[in-house]
Amino acid sequence: MQLLMFYLIGFFAVLSAVSMIVVRKPLNSALFLILNMICLAGLFALLNAHLIAVLQIIVYAGAIMVLVLFVIMVLNLREKDGDITVRKVAAQFVGIIVVSVVMVMVGASVDPSAISALGSASPEFGTVVGVGKTLFTDYILPFEIVSVLLLAAIIGAVILSKSKV
Amino acid sequence: MDITLIPGYQYMPELVEMMLKIVFIFTMNVGVFAPLLGYVERKQSALMQDRIGANRAAILGFTIFGLWHTMTDAIKLIAKEDFIPEGADKPLHFLAPFVAVVPALIAFAVIPFGGTYYLWGHEAHLIIADLDVGILFIFAVAGIGTYGAVIAAWASNNNWSLLGGVRTAAQMVSYEVAMGLTIVGVLMVYESLKLTEIALIQEDFFMWGIFLQPVGFLLFLACALAENKRVPFDIPEAESELIAGYFTEYSGLKFAMFWMAEFVEIVTISAILTVLFFGAWHIPFVTHDGLLSLLTSVVGADIGNLLLMFIHLAVFWGKVCFLIVFLMLIRWSLPRFRYDQIMKLGWKIILPLALVNILATGVILLVVK
Amino acid sequence: MAGGYYKIKRGESLTFWERLYLPEIFRGLSVTTRHFIPNWISTIIAYITRTPEKRKIMTIYYPEELPEIPDSYRGKPVLVRAGNGATKCVACGLCEVACPPKCISIVGGNRSDGTRYPETYTLDGSRCIFCGLCEEACPVEAIVMSHRYQDLCEHDRSKMIYSKEDLLVPEKDLQSRLDFIRRRAYGKCNY
Repeated sequence: MQLLMFYLIGFFAVLSAVSMIVVRKPLNSALFLILNMICLAGLFALLNAHLIAVLQIIVYAGAIMVLVLFVIMVLNLREKDGDITVRKVAAQFVGIIVVSVVMVMVGASVDPSAISALGSASPEFGTVVGVGKTLFTDYILPFEIVSVLLLAAIIGAVILSKSKV
Repeated sequence: MDITLIPGYQYMPELVEMMLKIVFIFTMNVGVFAPLLGYVERKQSALMQDRIGANRAAILGFTIFGLWHTMTDAIKLIAKEDFIPEGADKPLHFLAPFVAVVPALIAFAVIPFGGTYYLWGHEAHLIIADLDVGILFIFAVAGIGTYGAVIAAWASNNNWSLLGGVRTAAQMVSYEVAMGLTIVGVLMVYESLKLTEIALIQEDFFMWGIFLQPVGFLLFLACALAENKRVPFDIPEAESELIAGYFTEYSGLKFAMFWMAEFVEIVTISAILTVLFFGAWHIPFVTHDGLLSLLTSVVGADIGNLLLMFIHLAVFWGKVCFLIVFLMLIRWSLPRFRYDQIMKLGWKIILPLALVNILATGVILLVVK
Repeated sequence: MAGGYYKIKRGESLTFWERLYLPEIFRGLSVTTRHFIPNWISTIIAYITRTPEKRKIMTIYYPEELPEIPDSYRGKPVLVRAGNGATKCVACGLCEVACPPKCISIVGGNRSDGTRYPETYTLDGSRCIFCGLCEEACPVEAIVMSHRYQDLCEHDRSKMIYSKEDLLVPEKDLQSRLDFIRRRAYGKCNY
């Protein structure tokens, strides 16, 4: 059952990811990206990581993609007929080759026995309590560093936007 | 035939219970509240403005305060032409109303509308899915619901719609952040994200969220109204500026679906407010066990449980109805904010106040414990 | 609801409480609630007990309930049928002259006793603007504005041209309006 769900969601995830690149209209590809994010959230949920799944939807599908759509709508980017040039075709060709090489290398370097040795995570692992405990005990220092970094980023953004006024 | 021979028969009660709950919530939202709220909105606004409101539709001379208008509205909307404007993105134009409606309905899955009851050896929980992440799931789904408006705006190929969509996107992003933070105070007090646990703690009248988190309640109410895109936060569909905003180019059943999405969202907001701040299905000063033992002594355990379930359902939906009337009152009393005022309110007032609320709650919790 | 008017004292700039915004919201909500709740209850009571007059809302359910027409209302202009069954009109033509859209046309004639009467008195209802100047001009109170305001429209304009017979209304039906005209006339003399 779980495997079936995995294949189903994975299929849609891959499908939406491919469509996102292939589709011409900017808004449509953004929507496919949202679908992809939701599928990823589903995959997280299958791995017992409920909190990550929901956060994935809230942060990426909910907030960031709304901003992307906002920009697309403000700039009013309609469908654009790009002219097909030799350079573009060559770039796509090279890109496909590079990606397939990387994938083959990754596939070859992963040891299947190592993955099975990890075992499955406990059901407690991905819950709010589990993530919270791990985050605020074992990883408290990285957490604080990241929050200071984010604070600096916020202040920087404010200063950058204020200097124009 | 022996029922035990059917494979998976031991799951049958759970399955039946689940189906019943889903059907119940679906009927409540789509069948009862969505058409009824259209009528309530018109009638209540009329009464508030010393008018009479919808009162014409009559069957055999009985108008029952114009309640038939719920039916006539539905018939009218179904019978109307479904118009797609020229140059519209047809698939997206078709998709948008569904994207708006479905999340609004899904959000109800994690809202408990009753406690736990033992009916003839079966344990019934009146919640569709008691998720560990609880309230976060509602926020996630509400965020997805925004796309209905945005897609509709884009697909209509209409400048008014597009402006409405842009405003929706900006407003949603601003208020989603504030909304998430306003709720943190409540979560800190109840120490759980699960709505069932939050509801169970509120069995004690003085543990109701409205007493423990009054500031959080006001801020959450403001954010919820903004998420719902209703007056005074209705700039995405401001009639006097943008015709009808993002659903300008919709008619017939698709328009009805946007309408329905709005009303289902009102019900959802009222239900969340009930669970978080107004003691969910609990009657003040009456405990679950106390009432249950009283009912059991009168009519027996099973019937007592059943009766208790119906009492709690009535209390819960009664509270929801009260809150809906309150939200409608706000909607017909306040004037619309200007765009910059909405942004200012969201970022400069509600967000800092929510942070202060979190800080104050944390300090008080530390002192108390 | 209640009659009379309020005087609102408001300074140039907002006070502290007004700037806080929330108290003002509650004040606004209390105003609407004060209208909503009594209207709600009284409407339900009026519906159940079938006594529309107990409703607090002043709006009228129009075709079922008709409004009370004040005496000063200017409805369809009609000719007064005197006690002897004939019109009071003496075909002096003053209303014809006074009428701004020129909708009245009279052909006068002499009775055997020498008094004048209108042989035809035609009033084009499609042109009448219900100004009441004919009523004011009339020296014998023969044409008055009635209180009739329903069923004045037709799909065909030719049906809206009223002859003398269409316009004649018994004097007793117009008594309140005639009294009003006299009151108004004497009221003018008092100035």
